[in-house]
Amino acid sequence: MLQVHEVLKSYDGRAVVNRVSFEVRAGEIFALLGPNGAGKTTLIRMITDILKPDSGTIRFEGQPIGAENRQRIAYLPEERGLYKRSKVGEVIEYWGTLKGLTRAAAQREAKELLARVELSEWTDKQVQALSKGMQQKLQLCTALIGGPRLLILDEPFSGLDPVNVQLLEDILSERRAGGVTVLLSTHQMNKVEELCDRALMINKGYMVLYGPVREIRRAHADHAIMVRAQGELDGLPGVRRVEQVNGDKKLVLEPQATAGSVLRAILDRGVDVESMNMAELPLEDVFIKVVREGLGLDHGRSEIEPDALAAVAERAR
Amino acid sequence: MNWRQVFTIARREYRATVRRKAFLFTAIGTPAYFALVMYISLGPGAKEKLSTLREFTALGVVDSTGLYRDAPREIQTDIALEAPQLGAPLPPQIVRTHVQFFPDMPAAEKALRRGDLNQVLVIPADYLVRGKLRRYARSSNLFSSADGRPISAWLVEGLAGRGLDSIRTARISRPTLGMDLYALNRNGVFELKDDRRELVDFMLPLAFAMLLGLSITVGGQYLLTGVAEEKESRILESILCTVTPEELLGGKLVGLGAAGLTLVGIWVAMGIPVFGAGAVLAKATLPAGIAFIALAYFLLAYLFYGSLMTGIGSVTNNMREAQQFGVWFSFLNFAPVIGMTLILARPGGPVATIMSLFPPTAATAMMLRLMAPSSVVPAWQIGISLTLLLLAAWLALAFSARVFRIGLLMYGKTPNLPEILRWAGRK
Repeated sequence: MLQVHEVLKSYDGRAVVNRVSFEVRAGEIFALLGPNGAGKTTLIRMITDILKPDSGTIRFEGQPIGAENRQRIAYLPEERGLYKRSKVGEVIEYWGTLKGLTRAAAQREAKELLARVELSEWTDKQVQALSKGMQQKLQLCTALIGGPRLLILDEPFSGLDPVNVQLLEDILSERRAGGVTVLLSTHQMNKVEELCDRALMINKGYMVLYGPVREIRRAHADHAIMVRAQGELDGLPGVRRVEQVNGDKKLVLEPQATAGSVLRAILDRGVDVESMNMAELPLEDVFIKVVREGLGLDHGRSEIEPDALAAVAERAR
Repeated sequence: MNWRQVFTIARREYRATVRRKAFLFTAIGTPAYFALVMYISLGPGAKEKLSTLREFTALGVVDSTGLYRDAPREIQTDIALEAPQLGAPLPPQIVRTHVQFFPDMPAAEKALRRGDLNQVLVIPADYLVRGKLRRYARSSNLFSSADGRPISAWLVEGLAGRGLDSIRTARISRPTLGMDLYALNRNGVFELKDDRRELVDFMLPLAFAMLLGLSITVGGQYLLTGVAEEKESRILESILCTVTPEELLGGKLVGLGAAGLTLVGIWVAMGIPVFGAGAVLAKATLPAGIAFIALAYFLLAYLFYGSLMTGIGSVTNNMREAQQFGVWFSFLNFAPVIGMTLILARPGGPVATIMSLFPPTAATAMMLRLMAPSSVVPAWQIGISLTLLLLAAWLALAFSARVFRIGLLMYGKTPNLPEILRWAGRK
């Protein structure tokens, strides 16, 4: 769907995005993560063809990004703004016509979108009469009109109440089911864990994490397993210590031990195991850890897309 | 460049602008304001002049020369001659001023302070040698010079002696009052230059230059503030995902230029009944093809100023900053109007020629030159002026397109000139 290859962008001799490569697959929700100033906005601006990379290529549906395919990409920027004195319906209709719809089609789609975000009764009101949350939903409509194939959302949840957060999540699920790919940039890690399939994290312009969200969380967790079981788990071979985490037990393993060998030992002891998972570090902790450690990827333990990580490590050197 | 996008943007910009209350207020309020200013400044001025003459009924004279011993004790003044001669000549309206002699100034002053007299004229003993007179009045205003004419007529009559009748006296006091001037027009024909025609000769170039200048400035100001407003409200980033900066720039230039023209069109429509009637009455002629030349100057000058203003709007951070820059562009555009007396007096002179060739002032200066009475601007000068303006507009557009593309997404400190020039040099 979207292939970003070796993209580099510099300002005044300083690389803001440094040879970043990744792929967003059709129909997935992909997270773009990174601390403030990491280069996310610059990267998004290059994907949306607002900025041109100094080198590298960006291809969308097999074609280089340009006038031919940019109308199939929609972008909801973090810094939001609308024509305050225009009417709500007219604003969406305008974006629709810019995306190539006829006026009639734009009006029809605007009506449907406003109904979906529960703003129908505001159609003929001026934008400035809307609350901040309502304006945010309106701006989402401007991104959704015209049926984009790739939806780039920068902090879409900020400023929304829980009801509207749920509404937005539902809309994203619907769009995803309809084949739309979503690139989500956010600092709300719980939303990434909840919604996203894969993620890319950049820091100071460099790629520092890339792969399935779950794998990233596991790769950065302790070498441990989470077990829900009835019975005694202390003193198992290969287990360094046992910690109680909510209703589960976290078994921190010796370096040479594997999850399979420990599970066998538990079963041999005759303990009734209800569930067992590899331990995962919350994404927020991964984020903090990676940012604090700079480019500190632990390549030896990482199980996520080793080729990509090797490339990152190479560049980091 | 996708022209469909350009016209979609142009349409929105135009509609959003002309539907604003501020637009309607400007469209109707500006002519109303000027009409009010003209009424207040010109109407009462003329009325005051006439009423000063009407109320001038008593003149005290202290004559130390004895020359005016036998002078008439009444002055008759036709005030119709003082009224503006815009329509058919007015019938005579005679106002009589009684002349009363006093032996010395204290006696005259007493009568003046009492209100028995409007003015006192003191004729010193050495008047014939030095020509100095003194006039005392109860009050003075801007239009008090109007009452100098009856006194002048009375002095002439007194000097010339009792042998002259009132008509001869009037002619001697103002011998050129009824003199008509015939001058060659731009078609090589002698035509009458009366008061009415002189007014039209002055107003027509001014109106053309002002309208052209205003349409350029108004369109440019819309661009400047529109871009600054969009940048301030962070709309641009999501638009630029869908259209290119060049399409956005093009759409704004077309849409807001059209809004500026609409505004001027409304003003012209409102002004035609007044100025058009005056021009027809005065049998004023316009240079051949003036409408096409004015349109060419409008398009090129608007492109020049509009491009620069859009570029500047994109590098500023808010409306206030943008408007500060806009003032300088407006000043540059209207510089020829400020120096219009120089241009109208010598439309073929070096100042007028240079200003009409220099791209930032070319449009308004050339309009003044073309519309100046008797002026014939060589075609080659119009050609060079338009070519230079076209070149400048193209350069301004290229410069602004580059600055616009970068400036739109830059926030924080407003860049200085070297930084802007560096942006313009980027690929």
